[in-house]
Amino acid sequence: MSELAEALRDLKEEKVYRLVDEQIDQGVSPLEIIARCNEGMAAVGELFSSNVYFISQLIYSAEILKTAMKKLEPILTGLQTPGSQGKVVVGTVKGDIHDIGKNIVVTLLKGSGFEVLDLGVDVAPEKFAAALQETRAKVLGLSALLTTTYPAMKTAVQALERAGIRDRVKVIIGGAPCNEQVREFSGADYYAKDAVAGVNICKQIYGGV
Amino acid sequence: MESDEIKALYDARLGRYQAAIALEPTDRMPIATGSNYFAEVYSGNDHQQTIYDPEKWLAAEMAFVRDFPEVDVLRDNRIYAPLFDAVGCRTYRLPGRDLSADDQFQFVENEYVRPEEYDRLIESPLKFMLEIYLPRILGDFSEPGSIRANVALLKGGMAFVHMGQVMRNRAIRLQQELGMPQPMTGAFLAPFDVIADVMRGLNGAIMDMYRCPRKLTAACDALVEEMVNFALATADPLKRYPIFVPTHKPMFLSPEQFDSFYWPSFKKTLNILIEAGYTIRAYLEGDWSAHWHHMLELPKGTVLCDIDTQADIFKAVEDIGRHHCVAGGIAESLLILGKPAQIRERVKLLCEAAGRDRGLMINGGCNIPYDTRPENYRALIDAILEFGGYDAALKPAPKRNDGRPSKPPEKVPKMVTPWENRRAELGGIKGDEDLIRGPWEQLEAAAYAWVWQWVF
Repeated sequence: MSELAEALRDLKEEKVYRLVDEQIDQGVSPLEIIARCNEGMAAVGELFSSNVYFISQLIYSAEILKTAMKKLEPILTGLQTPGSQGKVVVGTVKGDIHDIGKNIVVTLLKGSGFEVLDLGVDVAPEKFAAALQETRAKVLGLSALLTTTYPAMKTAVQALERAGIRDRVKVIIGGAPCNEQVREFSGADYYAKDAVAGVNICKQIYGGV
Repeated sequence: MESDEIKALYDARLGRYQAAIALEPTDRMPIATGSNYFAEVYSGNDHQQTIYDPEKWLAAEMAFVRDFPEVDVLRDNRIYAPLFDAVGCRTYRLPGRDLSADDQFQFVENEYVRPEEYDRLIESPLKFMLEIYLPRILGDFSEPGSIRANVALLKGGMAFVHMGQVMRNRAIRLQQELGMPQPMTGAFLAPFDVIADVMRGLNGAIMDMYRCPRKLTAACDALVEEMVNFALATADPLKRYPIFVPTHKPMFLSPEQFDSFYWPSFKKTLNILIEAGYTIRAYLEGDWSAHWHHMLELPKGTVLCDIDTQADIFKAVEDIGRHHCVAGGIAESLLILGKPAQIRERVKLLCEAAGRDRGLMINGGCNIPYDTRPENYRALIDAILEFGGYDAALKPAPKRNDGRPSKPPEKVPKMVTPWENRRAELGGIKGDEDLIRGPWEQLEAAAYAWVWQWVF
């Protein structure tokens, strides 16, 4: 593992910034720097999965990554970005405006090389369907915090059926009120118990194609 | 007027609830949810009506109690929307105003305070609230000193009094007409949650743990007195009911972070209130299993801990159930989507796990959800009556004095201009001083509490 990846894994904020600055100065390709950062983020995800890290540490690593990416932006323009792992459409379902969980998922997905279309909060079912049609994404991530959202998850899945795209899209639900029972009710394909589990399901879906 | 029969019912329910919290013998497990959202909308009222029309809310709860008379407590208050409107509060989206009338009200987290402003908070919390925090979260108060801001304070003060009357009226009617006690009265937050909920936001607070840990800790310490003051200003003066504390951010924290940043100031706050003779009802929101062993550091039977659905109730019963009563065990999804037979099975399992020597109140995870199927709620009650019996020979009665020493904290209630200062300004009192002092202090204390309600 590179020194930069290790610094990110160990949440050494200042060190990450210093290494990124140095590597930019040394002329290291920004894509290589991103790859090192993603390696560090993957390690953070593993530490989270093995209960060494908690959500606060996931969020902190994501914040560090965001700042590091800002440093790279000016030198990234015009560069051919590497092929994405796949596209994922994400949003908090209708009637719910919470986004902490969704935002963590979005950052981790991006950190794992996915192209993410984040539709925000309180998203209408038709909007999910339209976004999936437009992007041709194979995965839809539905987020929720409120227990009143079970019907909204179900109608979101039904909207995909109405749009005739249900068979080519896998739907993942996640958030505090979700579990297997809710997945079954909503008609979704997967229930992700946390953000890292959600990313792994996306990898599995795209990897299996 | 309260009949003897209603009073007996009230006494039995309150006694049962208090005994369960104290881990003392009683006749059966109380049916005692803190937040019964199902009851709030029981007569078909929408969410806007619940928070704007006190009569509609009360009608819903009255209908609920008639259909589920076995319930032991029912909450009289949550939010009163006209108060939020009076000052343009930005921290909530309200049904009917910003959301569909059928949606529930929702909290909006934002970074309202910058890290470099911790010093101002630490130096003088009240001044910080009035000069920095309130102008940012109360839209109508965004330009202090302006006509609109002055009027907002007047309207906000009047709405606060109005809300107090509405809530008191509901509590009295629930008590006198239906014999229904409160699950909790008065509230406060853990100091870390004050900062991470409404001031810095979760992301901000997380960054601060790494970037300015000492300031964050000092700010938490500075908020202890303020939270104690607010809790006591809003608590039941008769100490019948626990004081409520919802905890929001521990679910995100590592044990080290919890131990360094969350627990010390929270524990201090809890201990002062417990020493003052109160019990606490704490919602341990999310998964608290990495942290809840700390509850063992508090005196036995003083904190009713609501265990959220994301945590393992069996582990909670095992870890802390001999020291504090825990509540929970029924997933919201089971109440909304499940079947009565599944509920019965679950209650049976929970009762067997808790046995007689561990405190448990079977409940949803910190709430009974709005969309609960009535037949599932009925099944929950029937199963608790079937499996949650302890000793039918015991006749529960309210506690008169639980033997714990009551040590009122110093410097409470807090005031901007204490009576001594005012008396000195007046240069002496010509008549009965107490007649002047009482109302003076009451209004001073209420105004001080008004300022701090906006951290919720």
